Amino acid sequence: MLPNFSYVRPATLAAAIEQLAAAGSRVHAGGTDLLGCLRDEVFGADKLVAIGGLAELKGIAPSADGGLRIGALVTLAEIAASREIASRYPALAQGAAAAASPQLRNQGTLGGNLCQRPRCWYFRGQFHCARKGGEKCFAVEGENQFHCVFGGEVCFIVHPSDTAPALVALDALFRIAGPGGSRLVPAAKFFVLPGVDYTRENVLRPGEILTDVVLPAPPPGARGGYRKVRARGAWDFALGGAAVTAEIAAGQVKQARIVLSGAAPAPWRVPEAERTLVGSPLDAASVARAAEAAVRGAQPLSANAYKVDLLRGVVEEALLALV
Amino acid sequence: MGKDDDDRDPSRGISRRGFITTVGAGAIGAATIGRAVAAPPPEVVAHGEPAPLTLRVNGRAHRVLVEPRWTLLFVLREQLGLTGTKVGCERGECGACTVLIDGQPRYACMTLAVEAKGCEITTVEGLMHGEELGPVQQAFVAEDAFQCGYCTPGQVMAAEGLLRANPAPTPEQIRLGMSGNLCRCGAYDHIVRAVERAAAVRRTGGGR
Amino acid sequence: MKDPGTTLVEGALPPSAAGAEQPEPWGKTTVVGTRQPRIDGYDRVSGKAVYPSDVILPDMLFGAILRCPHPHATVKKAVTAKAEAMPGVRAVISGASPAADVDWHYDPKLATKLFDPRCRFEGEAVAAVAAETPQQAWDAARAIEVEYEVLPFVADERRALDPAAPRIHDGGNRFDEPDRYRRGDPDAGFAAADKVVELSFHTAAELHTPMELHGCVARWDGARLTLWESTQGVYPVQQRVAATLDLPLSSVRVIGHYMGGGFGSKLQADKYDIVAAVLAKVTARPVKLFLTREETLLCVGNRPPSTMRVRIGAKKDGTLTAVEFTGLGASGAYPAGGAALLDWLARDLYACPNVRCETTDVAINAGPARPFRAPGHPQGAWALEQAIDALAEALAIDPLELRLKNLTTVSQTRPGAPPFTSTGLRRCLVEGAAAFGWAQARGRARSEGVVRRGVGMAAGMWVAGGGGPPSTVVVKLFADGSANLNMGASDIGTGTRTVMAMVVAEELGTPLDRIQVENADTGTTQYATASGGSKTVPTEAPAVRAAALAVKRQLLAIAGDELKLPPSELRIEGDAVVSVRDPKLKRKIAEMQGFRRRGVLVGVGVRGPNPEGKVVNPFAAQFCEVEVNTRTGEVRVLRFLSANESGRVMNRLTYDSQVIGGVTMGIGLALTEERVLDRQTGKMANRNWHDYKIPTALDVPTEIVSLPIDAPDAEANSAGAKGLGEPVTIPTAAAVANAVHDAVGVRVTESPISPMRLLGLLAERRKRG
Repeated sequence: MLPNFSYVRPATLAAAIEQLAAAGSRVHAGGTDLLGCLRDEVFGADKLVAIGGLAELKGIAPSADGGLRIGALVTLAEIAASREIASRYPALAQGAAAAASPQLRNQGTLGGNLCQRPRCWYFRGQFHCARKGGEKCFAVEGENQFHCVFGGEVCFIVHPSDTAPALVALDALFRIAGPGGSRLVPAAKFFVLPGVDYTRENVLRPGEILTDVVLPAPPPGARGGYRKVRARGAWDFALGGAAVTAEIAAGQVKQARIVLSGAAPAPWRVPEAERTLVGSPLDAASVARAAEAAVRGAQPLSANAYKVDLLRGVVEEALLALV
Repeated sequence: MGKDDDDRDPSRGISRRGFITTVGAGAIGAATIGRAVAAPPPEVVAHGEPAPLTLRVNGRAHRVLVEPRWTLLFVLREQLGLTGTKVGCERGECGACTVLIDGQPRYACMTLAVEAKGCEITTVEGLMHGEELGPVQQAFVAEDAFQCGYCTPGQVMAAEGLLRANPAPTPEQIRLGMSGNLCRCGAYDHIVRAVERAAAVRRTGGGR
Repeated sequence: MKDPGTTLVEGALPPSAAGAEQPEPWGKTTVVGTRQPRIDGYDRVSGKAVYPSDVILPDMLFGAILRCPHPHATVKKAVTAKAEAMPGVRAVISGASPAADVDWHYDPKLATKLFDPRCRFEGEAVAAVAAETPQQAWDAARAIEVEYEVLPFVADERRALDPAAPRIHDGGNRFDEPDRYRRGDPDAGFAAADKVVELSFHTAAELHTPMELHGCVARWDGARLTLWESTQGVYPVQQRVAATLDLPLSSVRVIGHYMGGGFGSKLQADKYDIVAAVLAKVTARPVKLFLTREETLLCVGNRPPSTMRVRIGAKKDGTLTAVEFTGLGASGAYPAGGAALLDWLARDLYACPNVRCETTDVAINAGPARPFRAPGHPQGAWALEQAIDALAEALAIDPLELRLKNLTTVSQTRPGAPPFTSTGLRRCLVEGAAAFGWAQARGRARSEGVVRRGVGMAAGMWVAGGGGPPSTVVVKLFADGSANLNMGASDIGTGTRTVMAMVVAEELGTPLDRIQVENADTGTTQYATASGGSKTVPTEAPAVRAAALAVKRQLLAIAGDELKLPPSELRIEGDAVVSVRDPKLKRKIAEMQGFRRRGVLVGVGVRGPNPEGKVVNPFAAQFCEVEVNTRTGEVRVLRFLSANESGRVMNRLTYDSQVIGGVTMGIGLALTEERVLDRQTGKMANRNWHDYKIPTALDVPTEIVSLPIDAPDAEANSAGAKGLGEPVTIPTAAAVANAVHDAVGVRVTESPISPMRLLGLLAERRKRG
């Protein structure tokens, strides 16, 4: 049952930022993650600042440099249904389509998908874990089949977003508005690993709002996709997934991006694997090499060694789908 | 992630060294700040205080007093008595409370009533033509697309939303479109058939 | 020995209803057996059906229960003052409240209270609140300050009997002596075998999670209590509540006209009924108390986790020589049949002279089990039917042939090995295999690629499914020829109302839309046991038949008077009674003056006894094809066929619904469902529908074929029908596991077959080379 809170609906972004200055304020956009967190008492809220009506955070529009600007309030369903995104940024379209359920995609926003809290059952459950200010990460000696194999330190969550790996692969920029103005952050720098700060998943400071995502124009010959493996056909977050992009010229990979989901506390880019592809044709052999490189250095916990095989497999499948 | 951004194109204006590039307040736009002067004050619904709200449900306006934390589901059922919309989890994990909000299927349990202000809400009661069932409802009966029937209003609303957006879905699109509604009795096979039947009926203008 | 088919799910053996006239079996039927949409379909799809959780009463309060967050703890103190002072709060009760000082026995041997200081599972009730809104009730529940002494716990049933395991009850963690069974000489049987296979298995705890939450609305009118309850049986709830509150049965009315699923978890009253009644009493206002989804995952039952070992010996030709089965199940914190019937299929499915079984039920610090759609059977099938598959492979015999080789027509495990009234297993296997294309699918070349296909099959039977007395039904025929059927049984989604109306229509010729069914209300409808155990149709349909025929006799007598013909020369045809000799001699029912004067004809039917010395059990065989991605561990069930022999098919449409529903649920057991208890804290990690994964529309095959073996069982009862709801889900998970084995050569012995488990096994196999 939801705790008590007050509700404020500012008319402008500036007013929303002003409202967020008060301690205990939380942004309410689609609400699909927020209400779940409040119900589970993951955190409290004295005041919800409803930004769903802010026109400046909506819309998909071409940017001056041939790229695309997507407002943070654009729903996952709108992204999945956008012809432009499907043709130019297929990894993002597929990531959005692979998230949650149809109803949640109609309500959940891109911004919310990127800023959602982890789905770790200790974090969401009645466990006072490190990320909630407690002493330890329960996953270390507990039920860790869904936890990370890369990037864990103090806390071993995986980042839950399906759109984030695509946006990292696509070199997107995130625009953040706050009391001090706005700033642009590369997607890859938006997410925070527990080694840096295990109490938050991104660089947003209190009072800040993610307002837009800016995608650069895809290079000629660019391909991309997102492949996700989950335990169940809907609702489920990735056991493992891979967002991939590749620029192919004259039958050879010029540049590639491989970003894993379900693998680490943040979208996990695997540059070494990307490099193995450069200069090769995209074929079974090069893909197998890249997949092997992608899982090098994985550090499984007691019950998630399967993820190493799964991630290797999912990288292979994602890359082969580009052939 | 981001261990390796040496290959980042500097022409984008992102500093190689810089962790974050501040572009100043201008980006969100002078427009917003300019507007802020004339902007109306934020609407506030205080903590624990029921405040008046008008909800448009099935074409009728209902004036109700709601607390900010009351979900649309709670208000529909317990305040308006529209109990066709069911409560299954209150966590957005089952679909029993699916309603159409501005024509789109959404979970009423994950929607605050105050957020539904100004929206057109359609519940299963709103698909009826007087005492007569709508085409999706008729198809669910004909194909026996339910057992205990508790998830059924939500399934019907998901199907209605799906068919409004896509009048001729493929079986695969139906499964995807219906994947946000659990049925513990396991009627999915018949549900898919019912949606196919409803699509056919709607296309031929049957069932109104 | 009491027959487990009767005692487990059907309550104590009922008094004989012998003497009540039982009609001859049907010959050809005109309504029964056809495809009929549900008579209450309109109510359900329109949203007009008022389920118990939809009930809104004037001046109603909302209740909430504060539950113990620890798997094992003692409540030292519960301070309620702060909660009582909160907005909207009208009552707070705890173990210290005189009004809540009520005994609640999970087991007759164990004295426990409604709010017992000793909490043996996470989710045990500690205190409760009634308030003006549910939000306020929860605010207050959270504000109750409870001091717990946290005790050591045991969450894994495989460790419950370790000498060092914490003791949950004074007598230790075993509720009873192991249940031992032996027939023939198993050692000699194994010695005589040409081939012996031995495998160990485990199934995870599965949770019922029906769509409608568990709960009730309670209202007192002076000393009389009315409960609107989401239940499979209004009478069992009435009995338990009356006994607990020391009220006459006549002062407790339980109404459950509609209910949103139960699968065995709503066969009984629960503490929440008593809590709601006490809160309603102390506030003198109606109280609605429905659990949250999270609570239903913790404390209203489960299919217990089961650890099993199977050893089977056979001759070269496939003839079984010995079967040995060892099973360990966990009831949870209180005795609840945690190992019940795990070994039933090992004992009774296949012909074998030498069998040894031992099952042990242990306590763990988790919510008590409840019967779950064929208790023990899907787990037992997971073990036995995979072992049979392994044996077939070892013998190089087709799994279908091996099963056909070892069929029986008697219940070997029951005293005297009584025959089954009908044994459709052979037909299920043969006709199912033909319709599925088993031989072709088995013969197809195997792919060695990344994505591999395989086919699998499994068989099953259900220990009960014959139904039996008691049941009383009243049919009323109104003077215009329309009818009313009054019965106590709940329609749990199986289509009971519709099937019973079809029985009335069959006998009286009344169109279905002119039959009103009133059911599941202890105040106004007749006695019935709970709807469970796949016994509702075989129990109720004969009683409905008898009641309808009692009406028919009266109608023909009246018509005979008016037509001056003996009733034996009359029959009902449409809306009239006509002479069998001269169709021109007829009288419309609506025009019978004798009937008009009587106003209504009332027929009472009771369920007659079951056949002496025979056993009524339904049978099933299932076949499926799967696709396994060896890179990712993903398993897709591509197609599924279920051949069921449940006697007469009463309504083909709802029959098919039950079949696809049972298969869907079995796919959940096979692929996705698993309760996870955190090993460090004993707390449930996945107490929601996101982490506890039941199948969605994307997790079931696009093709589920229901193949009824329509074989009216004239000996079983006057309807010729046996139960269906449970046998449909018994072989499913095993069939999927066998298909996965066929596809990739890995036998997954622990459920569920998730990508994590399958990838782990594939990696192990690669390591072994």
